[in-house]
Amino acid sequence: MKVSSMTARTLDTFARMSIGRAFASGIGMVAGGFLILLVLVAIFAPWIAPFDYAAQNLMNANAPPGWPHLLGTDEFGRDVLSRVIFGARTSLSVSATAIAISMAAGMTLGAAAGYFGGVFERAVMTVVDLTWSFPDILIALIFVAIIGPGLTSTTFAIAIAYLAQFTRLTRAQIVRLKRETFIEATINLGAKPSHILLRHLMPNAIAPVIVVGMLAIGDGIVLEATLGFFGLGAQPPTPSWGAMMSSGTAQLFLSPWVIIFPGVAVAVTVIAVNLFGDELIRALDIRDRLRGA
Amino acid sequence: MLSVRDLGVAFGAVEPLSGVSFSVDKGETIGIVGESGSGKSLTAMSVMGLLPLIGGRITGGRIVFDGQDLTSLPERAYRKLRGGRIGLITQNPMTSLDPLQKIGPQVDDVARLHLGMNANEARARTEEILGTLRIPEPALICDRYPHQMSGGMKQRIVIAMALAADPDVLIADEPTTALDVTVQAQIIRLLDDLVKQRDLALVLITHDMSVVAQTCDKVVVMYAGRAVEYGPVETIFDRPRHPYTQALIACIPRGLDDTARLTGIEGTVPTVINYPKGCPFHPRCTRAEAICATDPPDFSVEGDSAAACHFAEVADAQSA
Amino acid sequence: MPNLLEVRDLSKRFTSAGGPFRKARSMHAVNGVSFDLPEGRVIGVVGESGCGKSTLARLILRLIEPSSGTVAFDGDDLLAKSPSQMRKLRARMQMVFQDPYSAIDPRYTLTRAVAEPFEVQGVKPARPMAEEVAELLEMVGLNPGLASSYPHQISGGQKQRVGIARALALRPSLLVLDEPTASLDVSVQAQIIGLLEDLRTELGLTYLFISHDLSLVKYFCDEILVMYLGRVVEALPDTAAPARHPYTRTLMESTFEPDPKKRRLIAPLEGEVPSPFDLPPGCAFADRCPQASALCRTETPALSSETGHAVACHHPL
Ligand SMILES: Nc1ncnc2c1ncn2[C@@H]1O[C@H](COP(=O)(O)OP(=O)(O)OP(=O)(O)O)[C@@H](O)[C@H]1O
Ligand SMILES: Nc1ncnc2c1ncn2[C@@H]1O[C@H](COP(=O)(O)OP(=O)(O)OP(=O)(O)O)[C@@H](O)[C@H]1O
Ligand code: SF4
Ligand code: SF4
Ligand SMILES: [Mg+2]
Ligand SMILES: [Mg+2]
Repeated sequence: MKVSSMTARTLDTFARMSIGRAFASGIGMVAGGFLILLVLVAIFAPWIAPFDYAAQNLMNANAPPGWPHLLGTDEFGRDVLSRVIFGARTSLSVSATAIAISMAAGMTLGAAAGYFGGVFERAVMTVVDLTWSFPDILIALIFVAIIGPGLTSTTFAIAIAYLAQFTRLTRAQIVRLKRETFIEATINLGAKPSHILLRHLMPNAIAPVIVVGMLAIGDGIVLEATLGFFGLGAQPPTPSWGAMMSSGTAQLFLSPWVIIFPGVAVAVTVIAVNLFGDELIRALDIRDRLRGA
Repeated sequence: MLSVRDLGVAFGAVEPLSGVSFSVDKGETIGIVGESGSGKSLTAMSVMGLLPLIGGRITGGRIVFDGQDLTSLPERAYRKLRGGRIGLITQNPMTSLDPLQKIGPQVDDVARLHLGMNANEARARTEEILGTLRIPEPALICDRYPHQMSGGMKQRIVIAMALAADPDVLIADEPTTALDVTVQAQIIRLLDDLVKQRDLALVLITHDMSVVAQTCDKVVVMYAGRAVEYGPVETIFDRPRHPYTQALIACIPRGLDDTARLTGIEGTVPTVINYPKGCPFHPRCTRAEAICATDPPDFSVEGDSAAACHFAEVADAQSA
Repeated sequence: MPNLLEVRDLSKRFTSAGGPFRKARSMHAVNGVSFDLPEGRVIGVVGESGCGKSTLARLILRLIEPSSGTVAFDGDDLLAKSPSQMRKLRARMQMVFQDPYSAIDPRYTLTRAVAEPFEVQGVKPARPMAEEVAELLEMVGLNPGLASSYPHQISGGQKQRVGIARALALRPSLLVLDEPTASLDVSVQAQIIGLLEDLRTELGLTYLFISHDLSLVKYFCDEILVMYLGRVVEALPDTAAPARHPYTRTLMESTFEPDPKKRRLIAPLEGEVPSPFDLPPGCAFADRCPQASALCRTETPALSSETGHAVACHHPL
């Protein structure tokens, strides 16, 4: 095949995905760059962290930022920087896993409800709207209270808290797309429901769901930190930003760095996710499609 | 009454309109025809002085109304003219009607603003105009909201608003495109009557050649932002000189008395970003030669018609 | 010629859901429509916006279920078909849609769009798919070089050609054309109409051609059905037949000739089109009809061909 047309096609696909275009603005570039860096840090934590996150050194507890503990140490003398770095691992992986589960389940439910309609749709949407009317944190707390604390239950708690959002959004997309002429045209070719759903409806519905998922990872991090803060998330010695802040409250005035740095990590990450998400929404030009969900 | 000479319009670097000329007199209807994107609405906007509103500017030419050049008219003076001595009717009546206000007050406002009438005089005038537009029970209609009326009725209200200020020139931009044929016929009849009764000058913008054939005295044919041919309606239909006009007329199905097969015009209508150099029609023209791709043609005048084509004389020779 | 399509008393009622502040209302979008379409002929359906043309097309192709009536395709009752039988049958009855701009999935290249009928029907074309696609694109006058473009990269007329290529891919017998040129420029409309004429003779197709443009229908069709508010009010057996229904005459008089020497006197028309949700009793055209009598306002005229070609009017012209 001609190289030029292949390049053109690749470029075209890239433009259609438009993830690339989100990086085009200054804000998008900074926020996106930070997130990429953060993911790399989380992946390569064992090689990047200067110390073992669990190594205690009571002789050097509550040391202020300086050398060699750049961000100081906590009440057990553990290196705060190393714990923040490993905490990124916990926060990102828990939040991303939870959102991925939530998205997969929400898309399946939403698509089925939107496509088949009828009693099934009403049943799904009644349950979903019920959870939608409670704050996320309440749903997550109830769930953890039932299942018990830990990372796995935190993951599922977050997944359930966001299920309603993905279900509603996907359903709204499907219902809108179902009315498009190209769907009727494809039915008229003799296509089965599975073909319509998997080859036309889902591929066209997915972009806004992914963007919302991306934004939800930020919220998931906050939720994970909140559960961790209440001691319901990661159990010691696994570092998590929320749990670190929680243990830091005891020495808020004695050694504020223990609570400040994980706090800053949460804040900066969430801001970056939201800024990048906004750029993505702009680049994909889907603001309208996010309304009503 | 109104004459436009060599008008050009630009938005930033793009120039979607250039070399547009025509004129209308009282009691006369001129049709501006062309396909989608050919610049018909922009021409109307330019005459109405509405270009700044959409970020455009006039790059050249003159618009003379009643002996006065409008291209240099200050906005304040324009505001008096617009909706006053020059009326505009748009394709979608809802762009001119306020959905939240009753019909009566909306039409009254025009006479109060432009003719300085008081409320009672204005209402009397409104009812009179609605009556001449053959709207049944004008007093009742004045008390209705736009959404309570059919599309054809709304379009009549818009025409009434344009007439309320007693204009000299009426510009109608696709006034019937959104309407059904039976309703379209009624509106066309109405406009025709108005031209005759009130001695109006009507600029009728449309893409429908049949509407032009039915109503206009003169025609401007536009293609890719240019006027390509200009002349009396009979000449345009019977002896078109520009290859585009000829092809366009061959595109109209003529029902029974025409057995020739429709072929259309090869290629597609250019968009403003890829307007061809030279003659804008050359990529689709069957008569094009090398010069057409490089040099924009001048108007070749023959009698009272003009065609922008290097080879317009060929058509003259054929029809002779 | 045998009838490819036999439509009997077809009706569709739409009901708008009621709410706390609205009562449920219902309307007949299509009301008791019957006609035969013999193989190889072209029947035109003409009528104004909202008179039920597209609904009729959907009913005939069973894209929506009728409230009553029957459709027989090639002698077979369509409504008796199971969903899987129906899917197979669709290969033989295709449609070109009113709005080319949304008739192709925006994420599909032209190749994928034109190959989709084969994929969906599980049919393997005789030659390699790429060749088949190129052939189809050429048949509708598209440069096969466009095959890898997306819909947003081509013009409206080109999109409509893609729609036609898709419809023709499986060699159907019946093609329903729902205002295939309504959203296109005249020069492009003429291209598409010319193409459809060529394809008809080449492939021996049978067309149901829907349009609001009487001159186009007259140009293109053998017979014409005139619809008004869901009903067929007149069936013109050929394009030269004089109007017998007052509405048909109004329609003809409202359609201008593209010739300044043949200007019309436009007769004023009183009255408004009634709302389809509360049609008055009797003839739906009575409010606008110069011939209307007391009978017209009480009794709905049935389509009858006692005194000439079929017309639904108490006082035909
Ligand atoms: N605000 C604008 N900025 C830039 N370009 C514009 C703007 N408005 C119109 N144009 C361009 O000017 C050209 C002429 O547009 P115009 O609306 O006059 O066409 P038209 O002949 O009225 O078409 P239609 O029949 O579709 O109404 C188009 O190519 C359009 O893209
Ligand atoms: N799915 C639906 N639900 C409710 N009402 C509908 C539905 N589809 C069509 N209608 C109504 O049925 C009537 C006929 O519609 P239809 O689309 O068949 O008209 P049409 O003749 O094709 O008009 P147009 O020329 O505007 O395409 C209209 O009043 C429309 O509002
Ligand atoms: S100038 Fe040339 S290209 Fe343009 S219309 Fe005339 S012959 Fe055709
Ligand atoms: S039935 Fe009566 S009202 Fe209806 S079209 Fe005929 S004459 Fe007119
Ligand atoms: Mg316009
Ligand atoms: Mg329709």
